[in-house]
Amino acid sequence: MTHYIDFDSLQIGDALPALTKDPITKVQLVRYAGASGDFNPLHTDDQVALAAGMKGVIAQGILIMGFMGQAISGWVQLRHLKRFKVRFKGVTYPGDVITVKAWSGKAMCQAKGRSSCATSSLKIRTGKPRFLENLRC
Amino acid sequence: MADMSKQGQGLPPYTLKVDWVKIKELVHAIGDGNPLFLEKEPALSEGYRDTPCPPTFITLAFQEFTGAYFKAFEALGVSLGDVLHGEETYEYLGEIYPGDLLTCHMVFESIVQKETKSGQMYLITLRTRVTNDRGEDVLTATSLIIERMT
Repeated sequence: MTHYIDFDSLQIGDALPALTKDPITKVQLVRYAGASGDFNPLHTDDQVALAAGMKGVIAQGILIMGFMGQAISGWVQLRHLKRFKVRFKGVTYPGDVITVKAWSGKAMCQAKGRSSCATSSLKIRTGKPRFLENLRC
Repeated sequence: MADMSKQGQGLPPYTLKVDWVKIKELVHAIGDGNPLFLEKEPALSEGYRDTPCPPTFITLAFQEFTGAYFKAFEALGVSLGDVLHGEETYEYLGEIYPGDLLTCHMVFESIVQKETKSGQMYLITLRTRVTNDRGEDVLTATSLIIERMT
């Protein structure tokens, strides 16, 4: 049974449980391409990615948003999630470890050892609306 | 470069059937083991009428399965190789379940030209209203696409 966060009793600055993902693998990017329908070869073919100036294949942005979504659905009943906005700020490579961290009133999502790759803000409505802003990834 | 005269136009409405197998495939690819998306019992115990969709499921409505992004870029005269995905926003208005037939209404909401140090770019906002078989609004998706002119 999932134990959700009691958002109504959160104080500004309270930390939410972090989610650390396993390192991203190339196989995961292939699986995500098939699952989502994002078959842009930038995510699956190193040669194409290199020609585009990357160091190799990069993760689909919405996969990173999906990691955030996984964290969110562990924190709160999804029917309370009203808005989920993500700004993509950089690229994520296979081997990168993504950690989603959040605080009430302010939230962060970090890719360990690399610069920020995404930021996000959420609107969660339980008793009263809560905004989690400045998520970074 | 983006054809600014297309601002306010959009794609003809198109549909996406929500398939349980695709939900399962998506959560497995994300590595999300939450049983809520996979097993009826936990979903029903939380008051859902079936397993709900994960928050990012609606991305399927824009990719290869519908071709919506490709059709939008073609209509706007934008080359796929020049675009970056800047922002994605989902507003949740209702619940989406396996078996739902979603209808998507995409509008090219705005096209803004911007000069930057690295050259000219166009900021293209695609806004899609999603309704279910009962005509209820269930979600609005807004994609900010950046077209780089190099």
